[in-house]
Amino acid sequence: MDAVTRIQQIGMPRRNNELWTFFPVAKIPAQEYAGTGTATEAAASLPDFEKLIANETDFAALLPLAKNARTMVRTIPEGANEMAMLKCNDDFGHTVLDIGKGAHVSLEILDNKVQHEIVAERFDISVGEDADVEIFFANPASTLPLRFRHFRITQAANSMVRFSNILTDSGIGRISMDCDLNGEGATFDYRSLSILDNTASMHQRLTIRHNAPNTVSTQLARNLLSGSAYASYDGMVIVGEKCTKVNSGQLVNTILLSENASVSVKPVLKIYHDDVECTHGNTVGELDAEQMFYLVSRGIPKETAKKMLMASFAKETFYPLPETPAKKRLLQTLSV
Amino acid sequence: MLSIKDLKASIEDGTQILKGINLEVKPGEVHAIMGPNGSGKSTLSKVIAGHPAYKVDGGSVELDGKNLLEMEINERANSGLFISTQYPTEIPGVNNVEFLKMALNSKRAYLGLPEIGEDEFKKLCEEKMQLLEMDERYRERGVNDGMSGGEKKRNEILQMAILDPKVSFLDETDSGLDIDALRIVANGINHIMSPEKAVILVTHYQRLLDYIKPTYVHVLRHGKIILSGGPELALKLEEQGYDWIEE
Repeated sequence: MDAVTRIQQIGMPRRNNELWTFFPVAKIPAQEYAGTGTATEAAASLPDFEKLIANETDFAALLPLAKNARTMVRTIPEGANEMAMLKCNDDFGHTVLDIGKGAHVSLEILDNKVQHEIVAERFDISVGEDADVEIFFANPASTLPLRFRHFRITQAANSMVRFSNILTDSGIGRISMDCDLNGEGATFDYRSLSILDNTASMHQRLTIRHNAPNTVSTQLARNLLSGSAYASYDGMVIVGEKCTKVNSGQLVNTILLSENASVSVKPVLKIYHDDVECTHGNTVGELDAEQMFYLVSRGIPKETAKKMLMASFAKETFYPLPETPAKKRLLQTLSV
Repeated sequence: MLSIKDLKASIEDGTQILKGINLEVKPGEVHAIMGPNGSGKSTLSKVIAGHPAYKVDGGSVELDGKNLLEMEINERANSGLFISTQYPTEIPGVNNVEFLKMALNSKRAYLGLPEIGEDEFKKLCEEKMQLLEMDERYRERGVNDGMSGGEKKRNEILQMAILDPKVSFLDETDSGLDIDALRIVANGINHIMSPEKAVILVTHYQRLLDYIKPTYVHVLRHGKIILSGGPELALKLEEQGYDWIEE
């Protein structure tokens, strides 16, 4: 099956589809999918590609393929130690990344220069046993009206993936993630910071499947929202039947800096085994009044104190990361 | 220097905590304020600082002739007031040294002075940290973040040393300090103190006053200063408690 046919089957995103509950779907232009959607390059580089497309339910995952995105395939060999940057040069992009066993990879995703009505990228990332991978993006605020980024990550035993991002776009954006922890001992760590103002609208939808025992996932999303900005977080964790000793945590912290800013949060847990530990939490509030008082009582002007607390809230998102290029880049972005 | 006259203040539900405080503090003086729990000691410090949880119902607080109650919170600090609360707030993510530098430069800007140079600030920090026997890890930590009670109090005195206020109001600075830390913190306060400055200490115990000799001791009860005396008053309170005092 090709991506165009699959989109025709599932239809355009609607609010009554749980994948799009919070997204302003009316902003997605109804387009004629003139592409063939066959994505032959993608088919050649991904195992079971036909099956993958036939089972795909997320429009954003299909869109780049339906629009004939050029597929970039990269293989990182076993045991390699690589730092890489990925950049898509078209409205629609597809990246296939095969990371070998025991490889250490630091991967930064850069913004393309395209400023069209709609931009969509898809990433299929396979992580081998014992590999240690960090994927991050912290791009300057984009004015793209509509941007989709979809990630499909599969992890083998004892692999580690740290996925971190800073979202500051002024348009509408959506990050979607399907992560399969297939091998015992695999760990997935997701950290996201949204700093949004005016009418920006940013949406994150994650599905983490714990398909093996002793797998760990953490998801932390922090939002600093001003103006009429809107953020949503829709995180699903699925723990399989024989997956003992799974540990999973979801936490969303939001600071609303104006009366019109808003956030929607929806954690979903589907647990099919007893011996697991899964948590979820959500906080929404203003800047801490006691912390504000403390800073101001030391002579610091109110506006400066506010900025200091916002920066502190933002930076805390990434402090637990190890001292890697990702952490350096993310914190550097926040220092500017 | 600091003149508090008939200060009355209440909390949000209308309960009046301070019911007419009068206190005159002159340069070079150390005033100790003692009193039972819930008498209004901490409220007094917060009201002077401008904490938004309290409403001033009447009276005045002047520092060198300027009415503090009409100033913004940061202006009060920059005019020379330093308040150390009983439970210093933790601010993870705001680096201690960056915070100190920001506070010092805010004060300098208020006084029309240029920002402190990097080397000068580093030297100042080193000198004051040595005075308080603080190790280098303080530089890397967030403001009071994960610090023990004693470490927080030491950090407060470091701020006081760097900001060099005219009047410092230290609320139970001795709580949470072990014997050595108490000596170090008290020595730090004595070192910072000069004939041009004044300190108001809120304490429950004589032990702090063994190190920092008070000029006057006051008893605060039910929102009013009901008794004032010399250092001997603290010794008597330590021995006999508060029940003997008639309001």
